[in-house]
Amino acid sequence: MSLLEVTDLHAGYGMVNVLAGLSLTVDEGESVVILGANGAGKTTTLRAMSGMIPATGSMRFDGVEMLGRRVDRLVAAGIAHVPQGRGTLVDLTVEENLRVGAYTRHDDGVDGDINRWCEVFPRLGQRRDQAAGLMSGGEQQMLAIARAFMSRPRLVLLDEPSLGLAPLVTREVFDRVDELVKETGTAVLIVEQNANLALQFAARGYVLESGRIVIEGTADDLLADDSIRRAYLGGGA
Amino acid sequence: MNDSALSTRRRWLALAPWIVIIALLVILPLLLNELWVTRVTGWIPLAIAALGLNLLTGYNGQISVGHGALYGLGAYAGALIVNAMDGNFALGVVLAAVVCFVAGVVIGLPALRIKGLYLALVTLAVATMFPDLIKQFEGITGGSQGLQITAPQPYRGTTVDTQLQWKAPGWSGLAADQWRFYVFAALALFCFWAVKNLVDSRIGRSLVAIRDNEVAAEVNGVAVARVKVITFGLSAALAGIGGALFALLRMQVSPSSFTITASLFFLIAVVIGGPATVIGPAIGAVFYGFFDDVVTKELLPERFKPATPLILGIALIVLMLVAPGGIMGIVSQFTAKRRLRNAQPPG
Amino acid sequence: MIGFQLTEFAQYCLIGLGNGAIYAMVGLGLVVIFRSTGLLNFSQGEIAMFSTFLVWQLHEVGLPVWLAMLGGMVLGFGFGAMLYRVAVQPAGDPHTNPLAVVIITIGLFLGVNSLAQLIWGTGDKDLEPLFGRDGFIVAGVSVDWQKIGTLAVLAFEVALLYLIFNKTKIGLAMRAVASGPESSALAGIPVTQIILIGWGVAASLGALAGTFAAPSRGLNSSLMLQVLVLSLAAITLGGFDSLVGAVVGGLIVGLATDVIPKYVGFLDKVPLAPAFAIILIVLLVKPEGLFGSKRVTRV
Repeated sequence: MSLLEVTDLHAGYGMVNVLAGLSLTVDEGESVVILGANGAGKTTTLRAMSGMIPATGSMRFDGVEMLGRRVDRLVAAGIAHVPQGRGTLVDLTVEENLRVGAYTRHDDGVDGDINRWCEVFPRLGQRRDQAAGLMSGGEQQMLAIARAFMSRPRLVLLDEPSLGLAPLVTREVFDRVDELVKETGTAVLIVEQNANLALQFAARGYVLESGRIVIEGTADDLLADDSIRRAYLGGGA
Repeated sequence: MNDSALSTRRRWLALAPWIVIIALLVILPLLLNELWVTRVTGWIPLAIAALGLNLLTGYNGQISVGHGALYGLGAYAGALIVNAMDGNFALGVVLAAVVCFVAGVVIGLPALRIKGLYLALVTLAVATMFPDLIKQFEGITGGSQGLQITAPQPYRGTTVDTQLQWKAPGWSGLAADQWRFYVFAALALFCFWAVKNLVDSRIGRSLVAIRDNEVAAEVNGVAVARVKVITFGLSAALAGIGGALFALLRMQVSPSSFTITASLFFLIAVVIGGPATVIGPAIGAVFYGFFDDVVTKELLPERFKPATPLILGIALIVLMLVAPGGIMGIVSQFTAKRRLRNAQPPG
Repeated sequence: MIGFQLTEFAQYCLIGLGNGAIYAMVGLGLVVIFRSTGLLNFSQGEIAMFSTFLVWQLHEVGLPVWLAMLGGMVLGFGFGAMLYRVAVQPAGDPHTNPLAVVIITIGLFLGVNSLAQLIWGTGDKDLEPLFGRDGFIVAGVSVDWQKIGTLAVLAFEVALLYLIFNKTKIGLAMRAVASGPESSALAGIPVTQIILIGWGVAASLGALAGTFAAPSRGLNSSLMLQVLVLSLAAITLGGFDSLVGAVVGGLIVGLATDVIPKYVGFLDKVPLAPAFAIILIVLLVKPEGLFGSKRVTRV
């Protein structure tokens, strides 16, 4: 049984239906990417899964039906969502942002984890007591990811981490996430425009078009497929 | 139907509501008794002031919780001018409008920098301060005692300042209260017609453009600052006309009529009738006036009179949540649905 | 100045500080709501007034004033939370639709005011001062215990709020919700509950403020009409999101309101004039106030 099983997901905004019956799975510790052009419904998928927009269908996490749960209940179940645009709490300090990530935890390992993340990401450590809004886009992305990991999740939903970031910075972000995932064994479902980079990082991929999965396969297969290459990977980079 | 017949038909349809309203206004005072004619006359200043507030807040997006103060300014200005000018009502109304226009511009200038809820804050403060300002300058305004509108009139051989009364001209064959209603109604029609033309014009569209996205409007060549300040002025002038008429109806003014609650009731009239519509404020004013004159004054015992503001406050909240377009919004949704149904192809 | 007497001046200052403490208390409630929801609650004064009537009612039933005050704070908490849940929350995010939220709080202003009149009538009710009516004279200035008590409670209040906001988990949650409600929810913070608590706390602070305001002003439905504007001036001066600012702003507004008209004849019959001038000057010159953060004023 997969860690995450999404079946026949329908969701939209008001009268506009964006997702027209989407199904996917993510296994324990697996990295999966959702690709697709703008407007295909990638971000909508994650928002529907997190309960930010109403949706019908089914989403089973560890066998338990989760669709329709209130947004703040997901973290307790083990799912952490890094929103598009990073969602940094700009008025709070870096340390406070991390502490917020651990809000649902009641153990005393929180301080230890904060210290650990400040070591793993030295730039966060340097700016520990500064307002998070003062950091660069790349630093804020690291912070958002670290904040998600603070809840010790089993699945992280990562929404367009490359958005607004320079290519070099994006590469660094992906490298770091790769390290984190290997170290913690957390499953990751990542939605990404930059297909090339994402497929180098993930194990499997889905291609979304007009609210439906049209292609799925291992990352290697997808990278090798010429038609996909031309349609979604563009040239170069 | 060919094109010219279609556009003629459309023009008649557009004029139809106006014709109905004018007909209604002509018939009304002939059917009602004096008490009711006077009551309905009292709703007209409200409608004009609400029209002004709607122009500013509904169409132009500048929140004002202080139109009660402008209404009061118009009332006092009107009263003072009529007193000074030997009972010249017309001059009183016109000059009150001018005074309030200037006041509106004066408020509108700093309002360029103070926006949204901060403007609401400032206008709230002005409205709360207004009765005290009246009492401060009691040499001119008569303080808490208020001011009567008087003119020297012959009395037992000498002339004495007595409270003025409306008199219908001989040729009309009307009673004083009926004549007064027609004057008020004509003035109101003029104001509404003027605003309708303004709103339909390019300037009117720029008002809405500013409300929806000020930066985009500026980029598109709208003289944002000038439009906003002039809108404030016009909005205040309309409130001033309403206030002056209010004063001329009661032939007296006192600060207790212009507390913060007056501002709130104008806001309620705008929201109930339908913000950003021309006829909305009239509907809202009639609704509020009817509620106040019938429910509060006639039906409720003294103890329960506060039930009216309670219900209006609740109505304000419910409308904002459920039907922010007010009564006109509900009507246009209804007619849009009907048009949609009629336009469906058969089968 | 002709006839300037130090003792007289000191007396006015003391009165101003005592009143200023009340504006600060109401202002603290406004700041709490602004910090947790980003909106200015125009009905804060009326909620405070209503909660003060609850205090009075509990006292009428037999509770000593201090216990009635605590009871009123608890009941007020529920009242404030309920008003948020029923009237404000359904309107959605205030940042997307500020006009609607302003109108809703104005509707609450009117509704709560008239509800109080319906329940308790329009006459004045008596509420004794928590710290009694005694005082003493120092250097020709009459000082009463009630004023000292008011200032002491204010100091305690702001210290407590400061600790809660900066040193507790729930304070962190409130600040997080104010900064980014969506991200906070994704991190597991129950946003609605937090906001409800914020409104409840603000109402309790209002009950506290009213308990101190009522003895000298008379408890009736107009209790907070002027106080609201004075408190809004206090937080405008202090900064909409600053607790310390509400205190400093409140005391300055209190001093300005009670001292200036005694020496300046212009507009001396308009109690709100100094406060209005403060509001106007601050919003035009330095909108974030003395202690507020600059981001606060992006409407």
